[in-house]
Amino acid sequence: MTPTRTAGGNAREAVTPYLFLLPALLVTLAVVLVPVAQTMWMSLHDYVLFRPKNVPFIGLGNFARLLKDEVFWISLANSAWWIGLVVSLQFALGLVTALLLNQSFWWRGLARGLIIIPWALPSVIIGLTWTWMYDFNVGVLNDVLLRFGIVEKPVAWLAQPGTAFYSIVLALIWQGFPFFAVTILAGLQTIPDELLEAAEIDGATRFQRLRSVILPSIAGVIGTALLLRTIWVANSLDVILVMTGGGPGFATHTLPLYAFLKAYSGMEFGYGSALALVLTLLLLAVVFVYVRRQSRELGR
Amino acid sequence: MGETHMKRRTFLKLAGGTALAGSLARPALAQQVTVKWWYHFDNPQNTPAELVAKFEKENPGIKVQAEAIPWGGGNDYSTRMFASIVAGNAPDCAQVKLNNQARLMEMDALAPLDDYLKGWAGRSDIADNIWTLNRASNGKQYYLPLHYVVLYLYYRTDMMAKAPATTEEFLAAAKAATKGDVYGFGMRGGGGGQDNWGAFVLGGGANFSKGGMVSEKALAANRWYVGLAREHKVVPPSAPADGFRQIVDGFKAGRSAMIIHHIGSSAEMVAALGDKVSAAPVPATPGAKGWTQFGDESNAVFASSKNKDAAFKWISFLSTGENNAALAKLSGQLPIANSAAASWKGHEKRFVDASVASLPIAGVLPDSPKTADFATTVWPQNMQRALLGQISPDDMMKAIETHFNG
Repeated sequence: MTPTRTAGGNAREAVTPYLFLLPALLVTLAVVLVPVAQTMWMSLHDYVLFRPKNVPFIGLGNFARLLKDEVFWISLANSAWWIGLVVSLQFALGLVTALLLNQSFWWRGLARGLIIIPWALPSVIIGLTWTWMYDFNVGVLNDVLLRFGIVEKPVAWLAQPGTAFYSIVLALIWQGFPFFAVTILAGLQTIPDELLEAAEIDGATRFQRLRSVILPSIAGVIGTALLLRTIWVANSLDVILVMTGGGPGFATHTLPLYAFLKAYSGMEFGYGSALALVLTLLLLAVVFVYVRRQSRELGR
Repeated sequence: MGETHMKRRTFLKLAGGTALAGSLARPALAQQVTVKWWYHFDNPQNTPAELVAKFEKENPGIKVQAEAIPWGGGNDYSTRMFASIVAGNAPDCAQVKLNNQARLMEMDALAPLDDYLKGWAGRSDIADNIWTLNRASNGKQYYLPLHYVVLYLYYRTDMMAKAPATTEEFLAAAKAATKGDVYGFGMRGGGGGQDNWGAFVLGGGANFSKGGMVSEKALAANRWYVGLAREHKVVPPSAPADGFRQIVDGFKAGRSAMIIHHIGSSAEMVAALGDKVSAAPVPATPGAKGWTQFGDESNAVFASSKNKDAAFKWISFLSTGENNAALAKLSGQLPIANSAAASWKGHEKRFVDASVASLPIAGVLPDSPKTADFATTVWPQNMQRALLGQISPDDMMKAIETHFNG
């Protein structure tokens, strides 16, 4: 005799997963959805923190203002350039590092441990460390370049618009490449040796093995890592804030930094929220791709 | 089952009894009030614990909860303060700066101290002009002065014979000192540099009233200041990004002959340079009134405080005589109370003399809600762009004029 399901049992079964999900949903609601709703509300108001009793509703006024705001467009362009450069170079360096760490050598375990250090350091420490390395008067970078005769005079790395942006990009690449290295290394270790051996027997060169065997095998890992890193880099402002505060002028302004400065320096929470929402909308496209990719992988 | 009921009942009785005992005991506890005070010192290792202990001994009904809040160039501290006020969780009293007074007033966040000050014996121990500087635009007194600094010129005595008294002498001395990788003036073009700029541009005739930034005198003074970098090249190329740490380290390392800062850095200077460093008032522009930044530090009681009387007792204790001197030692600034200043040994005499000699031209930035944003964003962004040649010095002044006067 097969057991029959009662109506009550079916209902319980249908509700149970939601009960298990409820605590997580409530926490998400409290720490994500409520602040997002609050940000949307503020973006529609002229909300200045030191005028809490006078918060007029201005509709899309803040969004109309940002379209005419020169600094917004500078920050948006810088953000695009910033994300493209940082993520692609972090990935390239991470891939090379992962391939090296996947080789056999006697101190491989130590090397794998050391490589994670930049990723583990707090951003403020990284910002300060690189600021002093770039320092005009006492920085180690100028000292080395002068000693080797590469430059005749010290370079003001963080004070010139032509160098400030790329100086911070370099610091960010150093900070973030271990994430790619470790993620890709984990992917590399899932590639069966037989595949590589078969390619070798077929006469594939190292580069051909990388292009036709290794990269396709870890494409899923690389895709996910690139998407995640794009979101993180697009949102990050701490290292820039510590190193230049967005200067000189607007040379290192990115969209999240501009939103932060408007909110916390100008105390214009309404306008800062509008800027943050624009960034959120742009990032939603990336998030959409990421979520689709994840659900496809879960469906497999 | 019955036993369980009994236990529950016993528990409820006990709980009720405890609660009753608690509420009966409360009147005795209510006599003890706690004053929450926010402060910041440049050296985070310094603690006001001894002063707190002394105050609590003298005032047995009051406990002081002193909380060190990170300064973060001023931005971190003030952001936390404003956020705590909006969130309804402000301390009873806190250290405050004049550039935030207008914003705090607009929020109705400050408690007027006038009635308290009438009955406070220490009032006459603080100079009248200090009270005037601290008075709010509506004539009320919200700030109780605590200590101060005045910006002056540090110069290397091994690189120049005497301090320049005028801007002409200053430029000549800067040109003479600029050789190779040594520069005459360590200009602060990054955060906080508006007080360096003010010494020459506000001192040269600019002001914050309508049209005050775009008058011929103001524009000329600003052209001259930007010209130190662009035309005469007597400042390091790193000036647009240089903040406090960079100018002080450059000066100590002999990479610049003059910088502008206050007595708070004198101990560090003397430790590194001994007699090779001295100080004088900032150079005067011929035919102009002159100006230097009065670096104020006060305490205020917040309107939301439920313990205003106790909070005032604590902040007035800190501005009184020897307590004021003890706190100034912790902050590295100068005591505000005359009785404490008279016997002050906290700094080398030459730096105290330079501070006192600078007082006649010392002023503060305008009492406006826009001042804080001017200092943290508008000034550095426009100054940096002018120093880099991205905008003209006149455009920089127009941007400041627009910020304050539309």
